[in-house]
Amino acid sequence: MSDRSRTLAWLVVPVIALVVIAIGLRPSEAEPDAEARAYALGVSLKCPICAGESIASSQTDLAEDLRGLIADEIAAGSTDEQIRAMFVASYGEQVLLEPPSSGWGIALWAAPLLLAVGGGIAIYGLRRRESVVVER
Amino acid sequence: MIAILGYAAILVALAGAVGLVVTGIKASRSVDQDPAAVRMPLFALFGGGIAAAVFLEIAILTHDFSIAYVAQNSARGTPFVFLVASGWAALEGSVVMWGVLLALFSLLVWRRLWRGDGLGLGALAVMGAVSVFWFGLMATAANPFGICTEVANGVCSASSWLPVGSAVAAADGIGPNPLLANHILMAFHPPMLYLGYVGFTVPFAFGISALARSEPGKVWLDRSHRWSVLAWIFLAAGILLGGWWSYEVLGWGGYWAWDPVENAALLPWLAATAFIHSAIVQRRRSMLQAWNFVLIIVTFALTIFGTFLTRSGVIASVHAFSQSLVGPALLGLLAIVVFGSLGLFAVRANTVASAPRLDSLSSREGFLLLNNLLMTLFAFTVLFGTTFPLLVEAFTGREVSVGRPFFDRVAIPFGLILLLAIGFGSVAPWRAASPSIMWERSRFGMNVGLVAAALSVVLGVRSVPVVAVVGLAGFVIGTIAHFLLHQARRARAGDKTWPQALASTVGNDLGFWGGQLAHVGVALIAVAIATTSALAVRTEVTLVQGETAVVDDYCVEYRDAFERTEPERVVRGVRVVLYDASCTEQKAVLEPRLHEYPKFGQVIATPDVRTGLIDDVYLNIAGVDGDAVRLSVLIFPLQWLVWFGGLTILAGGIVALGRTVRGRPQAPLPEDRRDEAHV
Repeated sequence: MSDRSRTLAWLVVPVIALVVIAIGLRPSEAEPDAEARAYALGVSLKCPICAGESIASSQTDLAEDLRGLIADEIAAGSTDEQIRAMFVASYGEQVLLEPPSSGWGIALWAAPLLLAVGGGIAIYGLRRRESVVVER
Repeated sequence: MIAILGYAAILVALAGAVGLVVTGIKASRSVDQDPAAVRMPLFALFGGGIAAAVFLEIAILTHDFSIAYVAQNSARGTPFVFLVASGWAALEGSVVMWGVLLALFSLLVWRRLWRGDGLGLGALAVMGAVSVFWFGLMATAANPFGICTEVANGVCSASSWLPVGSAVAAADGIGPNPLLANHILMAFHPPMLYLGYVGFTVPFAFGISALARSEPGKVWLDRSHRWSVLAWIFLAAGILLGGWWSYEVLGWGGYWAWDPVENAALLPWLAATAFIHSAIVQRRRSMLQAWNFVLIIVTFALTIFGTFLTRSGVIASVHAFSQSLVGPALLGLLAIVVFGSLGLFAVRANTVASAPRLDSLSSREGFLLLNNLLMTLFAFTVLFGTTFPLLVEAFTGREVSVGRPFFDRVAIPFGLILLLAIGFGSVAPWRAASPSIMWERSRFGMNVGLVAAALSVVLGVRSVPVVAVVGLAGFVIGTIAHFLLHQARRARAGDKTWPQALASTVGNDLGFWGGQLAHVGVALIAVAIATTSALAVRTEVTLVQGETAVVDDYCVEYRDAFERTEPERVVRGVRVVLYDASCTEQKAVLEPRLHEYPKFGQVIATPDVRTGLIDDVYLNIAGVDGDAVRLSVLIFPLQWLVWFGGLTILAGGIVALGRTVRGRPQAPLPEDRRDEAHV
């Protein structure tokens, strides 16, 4: 391959790849199917009688029944929020495996973010401020 | 009789541990610093520990049900492998295994000491102090040789922790927890984890010894480097085996659920990963002296914290098998480790040299620091999320849960940034990397990533996160492969053949290239995590005998049912034939089963899996309605890549070990040259 065609390949290959990705991943209006929704909901809800398992992963009879309940509610047209609210009403807030990002729940998100900022500043502070010696 | 022998062995080991602390400290401060000074207590520790484990195994294998542990955790019908494994499967046995491994590691460390090695003798004293805790626990709250004093309804109903008084024996034991005796992997997963957990005691001991002796240079890192990597490999292997077990046994098809105890194993591994990377910076550029002390203390504390979470029952988890006084004892140890080590660190802070500064953020050390930031940040987030329900309940009295949705949400951006950092960091030169050299070294990988992402789209993937991970993984693997070829081309300058050039490039820096192999493993496992979670197909079909159903690209037929009685359990299952989508070409016969354990009143659904290059088909019995069986059919694309990626990470660690094997000084180096060892 000559130098020119090599340079050309370096330009053409990524452009074609980017075009393919852009076409393939253009946003579509497809609704997630009911089974995927039911699974995602099951993952986000705690099995009330199990030790640290979600409704989606537990093998207990209750979890089995609750999976059926979620599927029925989806079939009846309830939104995810409505179904979650129904579970909170029955089993309390601890049924949610992801605490709401309000009130004290903010702390869960804020603490790691604060640490990230602090760590970034610390690393930046380690930088030598005078001239930089380049070494290959 | 065997209870008294076993208990005596524990007391011998405990005395040895105490002796090791005393003689170790004394010898490390003496003039000649002779390792022979600690020989007797060390041998007592090791011999006593081994004897205790052997006596426990004898008691289990001879079905001595007068010992409460044996009566509660094994039975006459328990298969041999699980019988042997019950020696460490439950609380007291796991403490014995911990103690034995610690004694073994102490012996191995001792064999490498030399006259005048005060640092090593101090490290042995620290290991002795940790041994005092574990053997002390064995002698009190977690004595495996407590005897059974009362039998009711054929089971041991009361026990005494001291092996004195009259023992009574039930006719048969209860047997191991069914979940633990359901799959052969359970015999190997805990020992691997323990090897990892206990292994981190060695670098911790060297770090504490260096602090106590005001020797903050990099000698302690050089001396313990191989142990850190070894413990890191074992812990990774233990986590991987645990994931595999979960996949094969738990029936919901997952290998990671962000369960508190899974997190407890991941936390020290993340901290250790940060430590191994930052140790490179200190050994190479003399930076981060203080930070490395902090990281090894945190890593060791997290191993204790993990044990505490597992064994105290403080957080509800599928792993929390037992509760006892062991929990408070572990919490006490954790407090001593954290406050004691950090206190020592504070006292010695003046001897820890101030770090030379970074020449540039864009440099090898800059990217290693970014690794440290990502790892510690992720570890903190996992730790905070895991303990958040406890904190909220303690402060507000409200009950909340933090589970998979939260951890998944933070893990995804973390993983993407990590892949990007690995790609650039792997090829960044030390001190300062000019933009032109970074571009030169990474543009090939960028093209590989773009092409890989485009290919995945062509193959039908429409999930943005999956395409992103494929692209970044392609970038990482492409960049590393390109860098290897680039270096090998330089090595070829003489008259070497390509294989020779590659071998000499890798062989000249096994530490670096082992690390790169582990990075490739991380990229592979990231792809597999993305495909198995975002592209999985999950559905349930109800079939009567002879009926078929089409699921995705497959067709399943319920052929017939079977039932057999095994010792300790009844196995009921169905034979399901797996075809291609047209229901004509037979691919496999799968046998998902229900295992019923009458003694425990427990039924465990045991899945059956057909592993393929494209995807796994995972069948589990969800329920039986009269003649019909409800089958959950799960399809996981590229599931094998999870295991293969994990094995690649382990292989990388093993390659990296090779360097220090060659570089180890055979004889003590003169004081002024010791800093140059292992470089």
